[in-house]
Order: sequence, then C-alpha cells, then structure tokens
Amino acid sequence: MLKDISIGRYYDAESTLHRMDPRVKLILFAVYMTGVFMISKPEGILASFIVVLGLVVLSRIPFRVIIRSVRPIIFLMLFVFVINLLTMRDGRTILRFWIVRITDYGLERASVMTLRLFLLIVSTTLLLSLTTTPLKMADGLESLFAPLKKIRVPVHEMAMMMSIALRFIPTLVEETDKIMKAQASRGAEYDTGNIFVRAKGYASVLVPLFVSAFKRAEELAIAMEARCYRGGEGRTKLNPLKMRTSDYLWLVLLGIIAFVPVIVEILLEIG
Amino acid sequence: MIKVNNSEAGYAEAGSRSPISCREQNMSRTRRVAVGALLTAMATVLMYLEIPLPFMPAFLKYDLSEVPILIAAFAFGPLTAIVIELLKNLIMLAISNSTMGIGQLANFAAGVAFAGSAGLVYRYLKSRKGALISMLIGTIVLSVTTPLLNYYVFLELYARFMGFSTEAIIGMTQAVNQFVVDKRTLIVFAFVPFNLFKGLTVSLITFIVYKPISRLIHGNNCEV
Repeated sequence: MLKDISIGRYYDAESTLHRMDPRVKLILFAVYMTGVFMISKPEGILASFIVVLGLVVLSRIPFRVIIRSVRPIIFLMLFVFVINLLTMRDGRTILRFWIVRITDYGLERASVMTLRLFLLIVSTTLLLSLTTTPLKMADGLESLFAPLKKIRVPVHEMAMMMSIALRFIPTLVEETDKIMKAQASRGAEYDTGNIFVRAKGYASVLVPLFVSAFKRAEELAIAMEARCYRGGEGRTKLNPLKMRTSDYLWLVLLGIIAFVPVIVEILLEIG
Repeated sequence: MIKVNNSEAGYAEAGSRSPISCREQNMSRTRRVAVGALLTAMATVLMYLEIPLPFMPAFLKYDLSEVPILIAAFAFGPLTAIVIELLKNLIMLAISNSTMGIGQLANFAAGVAFAGSAGLVYRYLKSRKGALISMLIGTIVLSVTTPLLNYYVFLELYARFMGFSTEAIIGMTQAVNQFVVDKRTLIVFAFVPFNLFKGLTVSLITFIVYKPISRLIHGNNCEV
C-alpha cells in the first residue's frame, strides 16, 4: 500500500516541457484544470485528448511511463464509470437485466466523467511530477506566491518546507514500513482487535516514527544553520528562475490551446 | 506544555543531541522550518495508510495524518498547523489528483477546523488538561463544521465534477449502514459519527504519542 506512492517520479529527458519554466507549467496546470472542469461533452473530451496527446509529444516521455503513473487510479476510474453508468436514469434504455438498467445517456456520462478524470491525472503528472523536479516545483511556487509576502504570509518558509518534505517522504515511507513490520513482529496489531488494541498498535508505530523524524529535523536544522541559513531575505539561488522569450510564448500558446476544448463545446452549442 | 521528566521518556539514544539548539533566536526559526517540513512529510506518508472502518462507506477515508498536524498545533501554534495541512494537501494534489482536488479541499477544511481550533484553545490553556480540552473542542468543531460543509458544498461538488450523485453516495452508504435513507440521515448517521470517531481516535493517539516525544519537539528542553 505504501509502495504506491509515486512521488518525485521525475523522468529525466531533454524536452520542451522539461526546459519550460516551472512557473509557466504551474500556471498552465491551473488553466488546464479549469478547462477540464468546463467541458462536459464527448466532443470536448476528444479535443482535450488531442491537447494532452500534444503535451505528451512535447514532453518526449514514453507512453509506458505515463501509463504506469495512471495505474494506481485505475480502480477509481472504474468506480467512477460504474457509479455513473448505474445511477443515470435519463435516456434510452440499451440494456436491462435484473434491477440494472443502462441507458445510452448513462453510458455517455460515464465515459465522459471517467475520461475527464483520466485526462486530469495525465496532465497533472505530465506538467508537474514527470517533467519538473520537486526542487524546481517548490521554487516555482515560491516565486508565484511571492506577492503574498506583503501580507506577511511566510511564502519562503512554506516553499522550503515543501521541498524538504518532498525529499523526505520516500525516506519516511521506507521507515514507516520497517517500523510497522518490526512492531508487528513484536505483537502490535493494526487490523485486528478492538479499537484500543489498534490505537495502541498505531501508537507503537508513530512514536518511533516521530522520534526518527525529529532526529532528522534536528540534524537538518544544524546543517542548515552551519551553512548560514537565515530564512528568505537576501538569500540567493544557484540557479535562479528566469523567464525566457520562449517561456512567454509557450505560456500564451498552450494557455490558448488549453481552452480549445471549451471553445469546441461552445461552438457546438451555438452551431 | 506537557512536562516530561528527561529520565522517564525512555528514548535515551535519541537524547544525544548537540547542545546548541536554543542559544540563538535564529536557530529556533530554522528548527521550525526543519521540524515543520518533517511533520509535513510524516502527515503525507500517514495519509497513505488508510484504515477502513466498519459501518462507513469506502469514500470516507480514515487516516492518522492529523496526528503530526495536531502535534504541530501544540508545539508551534495553529498557524503552523494550517500551513502544514495546506502543504500536505498540495503534495497530495501533485502526487495523485484523483478527485480533481475536491478531496484535498475537503481534507484541508476538516484539518483546519480540527487542528486550528485545538491549537487555538491550547494557546490559552497550556497544560495537560488544556491539551485534552483543546482536543475535545477540536473534535466538536470538526464534527459540526465538516458535515455542514459536506451538506452544502462538497456533496454538490462531487455530484457536479465526478458524477457522484448524492443519491449514489446515499445508496453506497446504505449498503453498509441501514440508518442512512436520505441526505439528512447521511449527515446524521454517517458524517457526524465518522468525524466524531476520527477526532476522538486521533486525539487519543496524539495523547498517547505526545508524552514520549514532547521532549524532542523543542530540543534540549528549552521553550522556543
């Protein structure tokens, strides 16, 4: 269960999407998500599919890598499909057995909802996790939300915490797994017994986990302090983010393309 | 702050830290960032360890990710807890955007209600009893606000963007919990008990866990 975490599944490649400024990718992600929320017809989904296919080509990531990143949510996609298929009552009945009635409209809705979810997940992993290193992503977030520093939001600290957290999640996953097995071998119970037995079982995992996390945090704080970390002000970066002309061009171009599916739907409505 | 005697905490090897922790003001700020980051990582990992509950539909996810957040609320205050809650959900959003962000939004709202209110109360009642009272108040706030938010906001959002009509959700819940017949009973017999249970168990586990680790939080027993 813990092994499913596909964090920092950064796929190294030389491509337009990899080179793109993380801020552009974050904005495009928000724009694309808004676009996906607004489409609801098969034609829009089809157009959106083509857009995502274009992104895949731009990212030069092999298909099997993308499919692998979708694998953990196949169950959820099936679930969404079945729920939509079975609960939609409108439309012409195309299949009926026992108490189940499947309508053509239900089939359409189920497909649209499932594919929309699929598109959203592929575009998220494509724009964010596969082509952007966690460090760049945190840098991008910090720079995008920098204006909030004016109202005393600790943007720098938050970005710093996020990049540290992203770096330590795999470590803690491994550790949690180890501790859980170790405590289970000593008789800790997680899935059996009454609530107090289980709570004690989980507490026996959490205490060593906390101890190790705090130890790491302590060491990290000392290491940061030794390198004169003093928070955000006056801190310089080795590779500062810099928007190039091509970044602006991609932002405008892909931003418009992200809304093509929505435009297709509106045109269909009118026409 | 729950005071724990050094010798009784029982994690001797973890106690061998360098003695510079609390000399400088700046150190505390760096520590805050480092400890906050590790607590964020822990909360994210714990969110994956979902625990299925009887009498509850599968979409009500029970996990212990609020434990580190509650501890952050006690150690650093409610605002830090809210920041960690936000970061945890942002990371989850980037890893697996499986509910179009609606699940993350709901989780964030619930976490803010719970850890935020508990941290706020604890700020004025810094004692062992205060911790208990604050967690109890946090649980109450959680079980009042989240069902209301679910009723008015999140059920609507799920129906619109995922096609999970409220009827379907009621049907799924009814399969495991016969008291649920409509939207109102869904709230009263599923959401409210779920959140009460979540709040109480998370509080219980935090209470068990806090004692042995409280010494580590501030490093070398100095208040930050």
